[in-house]
Amino acid sequence: MTKPNAQTSIFSGVTLAALAAVILMPLVLPSATLATEILIFAMAALGCNLLLGYTGLLSFGQGIFFGGGAYIASLSMIHLDFGLFGALVAAMIAGSLLATLVGALAIRRTGIYFVMLTLAFSQMAYFLAYTLSDWTGGDNGLLDVPRPALSLFGFELADLTSSYAFYAFVGVLFLAIFVFARRVIHSPFGTTLVAIRENEGRASAVGFSTNHFKLLAFVISGGITGIAGALYAMLLNFAPLSNIELLMSENILIMTIIGGTGSLLGSLLGAGTIVLLGDLLSSIWPRWMIILGVALIAVVLFMPSGLWGGVESQCKRWKERRCTAGKTSGKAQEAK
Amino acid sequence: MSDYILETENLGLRYGAFAALGSVDLKIRRGSIHTVIGPNGAGKTTLFHCLTGERRPSSGRIRFAGRDLTRQPPHKRVASGMSRSFQITSLFQNLSVRENLRLAAQGRDGLGALAFWYSDTHRQEHVRKADEVLERIKLTAQANTSAGDLSHGQQRVLEVGMALCSDPEMLLLDEPTSGMGVDDIPVMTRLISELGKDLTVMLIEHNMRLVMSISDRITVMHQGNILIEGDPDQVRGDERVKKAYLGESGS
Repeated sequence: MTKPNAQTSIFSGVTLAALAAVILMPLVLPSATLATEILIFAMAALGCNLLLGYTGLLSFGQGIFFGGGAYIASLSMIHLDFGLFGALVAAMIAGSLLATLVGALAIRRTGIYFVMLTLAFSQMAYFLAYTLSDWTGGDNGLLDVPRPALSLFGFELADLTSSYAFYAFVGVLFLAIFVFARRVIHSPFGTTLVAIRENEGRASAVGFSTNHFKLLAFVISGGITGIAGALYAMLLNFAPLSNIELLMSENILIMTIIGGTGSLLGSLLGAGTIVLLGDLLSSIWPRWMIILGVALIAVVLFMPSGLWGGVESQCKRWKERRCTAGKTSGKAQEAK
Repeated sequence: MSDYILETENLGLRYGAFAALGSVDLKIRRGSIHTVIGPNGAGKTTLFHCLTGERRPSSGRIRFAGRDLTRQPPHKRVASGMSRSFQITSLFQNLSVRENLRLAAQGRDGLGALAFWYSDTHRQEHVRKADEVLERIKLTAQANTSAGDLSHGQQRVLEVGMALCSDPEMLLLDEPTSGMGVDDIPVMTRLISELGKDLTVMLIEHNMRLVMSISDRITVMHQGNILIEGDPDQVRGDERVKKAYLGESGS
């Protein structure tokens, strides 16, 4: 795991690959809206990955943070006249606070009981949002969510109503979060999370109070997911109830797992795959989720480290083959 | 400063009516190698777990380096200067040997390691500590190997190395040679007697040759209590110890 410095520098290596993806996606994909959706879910998957891939915590609470962020951002813009950054910060804080609440209680148990607790919270949050229809719009969702212009200290810098302008904004934010996530992973905190994932008993025996670490992982994950939720509401101009449904938590988890846990680019790849599959297949066949199920089974069975892991090992094999091919041709020449 | 780094007073642990640990008064002299032996079920592991904080004793007190840590959770005992190894090898299997040790060194920071805003290599002292321990346990050549790929003997040595990374005053080793082959045992024997020169070492061990050759002091436990305590020669010659090992009917 100890990599040379050039690769652990948070601005090089995979960050450049993420940058390339952000630049290329709107050029290749049919619409900027689709590309924006991919980046938003990639953020949510990054947040999930921090818990699942790096800390080893399978949380069904991600939808709570996503939906909570979407609602708080929307409500703060509609009722309190919050601007773009104000709404995003509000969503981040809301996501973190919700994650603190869920995390603090759930991490008191481990393994399957931990998972069940996050599941219970997820159901509670859904019914709470459903019941509080005066605020959330209930089943109809929260309508007329604005997408404020990008402004700083009252000066309007850019209007984000065009889908490309909004994509550019989300792209920059995504890269910032990506770099932040890399910083977290290669920090004392992040390496301790990996230690907890690998062997919690030993992590505790060498002196880490593991619950504090798990809780902070939740807080960071919740904050990132909250921002993603807020951006999604701005993208749709609408905050549907489905944001906070259990299905949202599942979707985020599936993206994280299919892309590959424990690698940040995997989250982007996973989100891209699921969003694109959904977009392509749902128009052809309304039961496209069946195919998604098959894809998930295939990845879990045959590519335990996800699509990104598959890409990595394929690259490695290809490199090795080139090496051995080079050697054998060299030998052949010697023989001549 | 007291001569004894660790003292237990009337330490007991009951599970219902069964006393896994009766009433143990154990004193461990600073700078000694102190071994606890005894037949299966004598309460050695229970005693060990009370000392490391995994089990909370139902009676009695534990004083370590002048402080009462009877109720301290395991992770806080590291900062007090107590460090342990496991009977069943417990490593970060998928991480490199160096990273295993670096993390163990980082453990002494406790909550300081919650810092997520700077690079892990920023704290060079942990990397240095890891390299120092690597040399001490002679695994420098394997520094970049995954811990899970080491031989069993090497994993046992790393297990002890992990405990060293927090700069402890006292090491608690739970059957360090457990499952080791005959060829590897001298390596462990040498390592422990080396460590005994700088630190206090308390260990539970079944390998009698190792116990007799390195211990300054031996405590024999039987049925949850201390049977006798003495230096290796005293213990070797004691009739009660033979009886305890062979069983009451064996005599």
